[in-house]
Amino acid sequence: MVITLAAVVAYSAYVTRQIAGLRQLQNNLIDRNRKDSLQLLRIQNELNSIGISMRDMLDTAPLDQAQPYPLTAWEPQFQRMRVDLEDAFRREQQVSPEGRTADQQQYLQSSLAQFWDAVGRTFALARSGKEKEAREQIRLSLQARLAALNTSVARLLVQNNESEERAAAQVTEIYDRVARQAYVFLTATLIAIILTSLYLIRSNRLIFNQLAMLSEQRSDLAQKLISSQESTLRHISRELHDDFGQILTAMGIMLGRARNQLPEESQLRADLLEVRETAQTTLDKVRSLSQALHPVMLEEAGLEQTIEWYLPVVERQTGIGICYEKSGTPFPVNGNAAVHVYRVLQEALNNVARHSGAKKAWVRLRFTSDMLQLEVEDRGSGFPATRPGQGIGLVAMRERAELLGGHIAIGRPLEGGTLVSMRIPREHLESNA
Amino acid sequence: MNRRSFLKATVGLTATGCPSLLAPFARAWALGSNPSQSLGFHFTDVTTSAGLHFKHNNGAYGGKLLPETLGSGCAFLDYDADGWEDILLVNSMDWPGHARQRSTLKLYRNNRNGTFTDVTRAAGLEIEMYGMGVAVGDFNNDGFPDILIACVGQNRLFKNTGKGHFIDVTNSSGLGKRQAFSASALWFDYDRDGLLDLFVCNYVKWSAEHDVFCSLDGKHKSYCTPEAYVGQTCWLFHNRGNGTFEDVTASSGIFDSSSKSLGIAMLDYDQDGWPDLLVANDTQPNKLYRNQRNGTFKDVGVEAGIAFSAEGKARAGMGVDVGDFDNSGRDGVAITNFDNEMIGLYRADGHGNLSDVAVQTGVGLPSKTTLGFGCAFADCDLDGSLDLIAVNGHIDDTVRNVRNVGYAQPPQLFLNNGKGAFHEAGAEAGGGFSEPKVGRGLAIGDFDRDGDLDVLMTTNNGPAYLFRNDQTSGNRSIRFRLVGTKSNRDAIGARVKISANGIMQARMVRSGSSYLSQSELPITFGLGKQDKIERVVIDWPSGRSEEFKQLSSGKSYEITEAQGIKPGPEF
Repeated sequence: MVITLAAVVAYSAYVTRQIAGLRQLQNNLIDRNRKDSLQLLRIQNELNSIGISMRDMLDTAPLDQAQPYPLTAWEPQFQRMRVDLEDAFRREQQVSPEGRTADQQQYLQSSLAQFWDAVGRTFALARSGKEKEAREQIRLSLQARLAALNTSVARLLVQNNESEERAAAQVTEIYDRVARQAYVFLTATLIAIILTSLYLIRSNRLIFNQLAMLSEQRSDLAQKLISSQESTLRHISRELHDDFGQILTAMGIMLGRARNQLPEESQLRADLLEVRETAQTTLDKVRSLSQALHPVMLEEAGLEQTIEWYLPVVERQTGIGICYEKSGTPFPVNGNAAVHVYRVLQEALNNVARHSGAKKAWVRLRFTSDMLQLEVEDRGSGFPATRPGQGIGLVAMRERAELLGGHIAIGRPLEGGTLVSMRIPREHLESNA
Repeated sequence: MNRRSFLKATVGLTATGCPSLLAPFARAWALGSNPSQSLGFHFTDVTTSAGLHFKHNNGAYGGKLLPETLGSGCAFLDYDADGWEDILLVNSMDWPGHARQRSTLKLYRNNRNGTFTDVTRAAGLEIEMYGMGVAVGDFNNDGFPDILIACVGQNRLFKNTGKGHFIDVTNSSGLGKRQAFSASALWFDYDRDGLLDLFVCNYVKWSAEHDVFCSLDGKHKSYCTPEAYVGQTCWLFHNRGNGTFEDVTASSGIFDSSSKSLGIAMLDYDQDGWPDLLVANDTQPNKLYRNQRNGTFKDVGVEAGIAFSAEGKARAGMGVDVGDFDNSGRDGVAITNFDNEMIGLYRADGHGNLSDVAVQTGVGLPSKTTLGFGCAFADCDLDGSLDLIAVNGHIDDTVRNVRNVGYAQPPQLFLNNGKGAFHEAGAEAGGGFSEPKVGRGLAIGDFDRDGDLDVLMTTNNGPAYLFRNDQTSGNRSIRFRLVGTKSNRDAIGARVKISANGIMQARMVRSGSSYLSQSELPITFGLGKQDKIERVVIDWPSGRSEEFKQLSSGKSYEITEAQGIKPGPEF
């Protein structure tokens, strides 16, 4: 970036310098030349007018009846032309280009002065009645001097033209140089842009790789966490079911036996009955807790029946009416996989109960030839884009789906509410351990 | 500039700044649905009803010869001295070897009822010539105006016998045997000897045999601009008083073989009572010939600032008129130019300088796209300030193919608001005045004697137009017809100054002006609602000055030098 900026600054400075040079060339040489040439053309025009007037003077009567005028008639006209011509020469000197030498200027001035002297002599002759001599003077002296002046002016015009041609060549050279530098600059800029882009691509790729790795690690960790949690819950559930269940069952039997040994009307017999009923209640609660922590039913009866058992429990506990649809040809779902499907269902229904405010929900379980689809839908308040403090459950759901090689989508149906949809490939359900 | 300062500037502009920019909008807004009513007058085209059945013949047969596109002029004159303005329309003719029709100038006698009768034949003027301009003046002081027709070829001088007839005195007067491409001409008494002298503008050295091939599109021949030709000197002829003229072109200092002159006007530039001359030159510097009171003139055009445009360029001057348009007592000047050059409107500062105020006054911009020929100052609305009329038309009928300019162009009427601003109101004046025309000549005169100024214009190879001016605002005017006794009989060069209600107005009795044309000699002053003037002062060319007081408006007065004033007809 720094290199690119530096290149732009350097190039701008270079172009500015070239333009300044060009402007100077234009001001000093081309513009001055052009103004000078215009004045020279004006001078040439004036000289031509003088030439025409001199020819008219030679053509007066008796040669031309339309001009029956003496030569002196032209004197005021010549005075006017002299004023105009001298003005043109003065202006020409003010804008004369740098290459003009003092000798050239001096020559022009003296030629002009000599010409007007000769004009003066001619009119003096005419005034004194020597028209013939005056005409002779015009023919021999004035016309020659005028021709010499015309040649000098024409030479200056040629000089200006040559000078302009040189300036034009210089301008072309400057343009070529600037064009060349522009190509170099463009090439350098292009290379800098390509190198910078390559560097950026490489750094981005490294960052993406790191991110992917981190994400993988996080996912791995999450899955391990879930597995560890499931394993712990299963263990606790088994312990509760097997150990505490058996202890409490044995306690119940022993209490029954001890009660039977007491007389019918004994107060102790009534107390033992009460203790036995308490033990039975505890046993029921332990079994229920065990079932909640890890439904043994999943392993014993399978996913479909566990869901059919579980949904009325949720209805009872939350008061939400659940409409359950099952379709397709069921295929066996591995126990470990079933736990994850069951946990996703559990979490989704929990969310319905806790956040949606809906009084009804739909649970759809679809078996297709190559996948299992579970949908939980409600018409509640919907799922906000971001909800602070919420997310662990969703993350867990996503992780569980991914653990089974599937994916989960949470959306908003047209009718409103929330639709949680999970798709798991069949092969993962049948083989997952 | 922020928004607030911009608004301030705009308000300032409205209040004090550029009236010329805003006046047209304000006026247009105020006009409503009936514009000509609000102008205070309107024009009516009475050409046909007045009986002017004229068509100019420029002789064009396809050769595109230079003179074809430049003619011709017109004049108001009272040839029978009955107090009613008659009309003369100059005509050109077919070129030798291409004769198809006979065409002559036309003289129309005023029937005093709004119509005219063609009296050309009776007047002895049914003569073919390639006529361009006309100048009317009583050179022999017999009370009947004589006519000079400026021609391509030989100019013609017709002496008025006073019996409705003219005699060609070209040769006997010493004006014969001169071939030129003449344009406008003017009668004036430059040496104040009581005899009218003659000034003739010549354009370029041209002959049909040496016509240059010029082209706008590079393929077809078109009319040349004058750069293609060498100039030719104007002529000044001194009236010897015996019916003959002496060529004093050279001795008077008028001679200039580089001039390409089209328009001529007289004025008193230095206010010394001696008539000066202003010559509009085409692509050459305009000339302001200052009368040196000794029979010679000196060109002071460059010093006065009228020779070149503000950019230092010699413009294509065509028509010229002179008038005190700002009621300053000093003559201003209007010169029509080529398209893209705008009219030059010059104001005199009293120190010998004429500054071009065309842009500031609102005349410049509307005239930038027009090629103007005839122009005349005239108080059309009789409000006391001179308005300006310009007739326009291009020189080449194919110009539209190469530039976005029309061949026929609308005449323009620049109304003077009396405060230094003009606005173009040709379209509002009605009567078809602003319909595009290939306009050339323009003359002003009150042919119906109703006290306002009617407009006569000619077109190249087309009809002439007579627009009657009808006042609707009730503005009054006063008219003066001057008769010289010691001065020349037409009183050309007399200066008339009136004061009414504190406002001074000045006019000069003039021949020439406009382009190839001449307006009537009587003088009209617009007075607004004033029913009298406090006084009128006449400075006669003889040097005599006369003053008359308390004159009623709505009348025409005849003032004879040293013999008093006589009220004429009312209007």
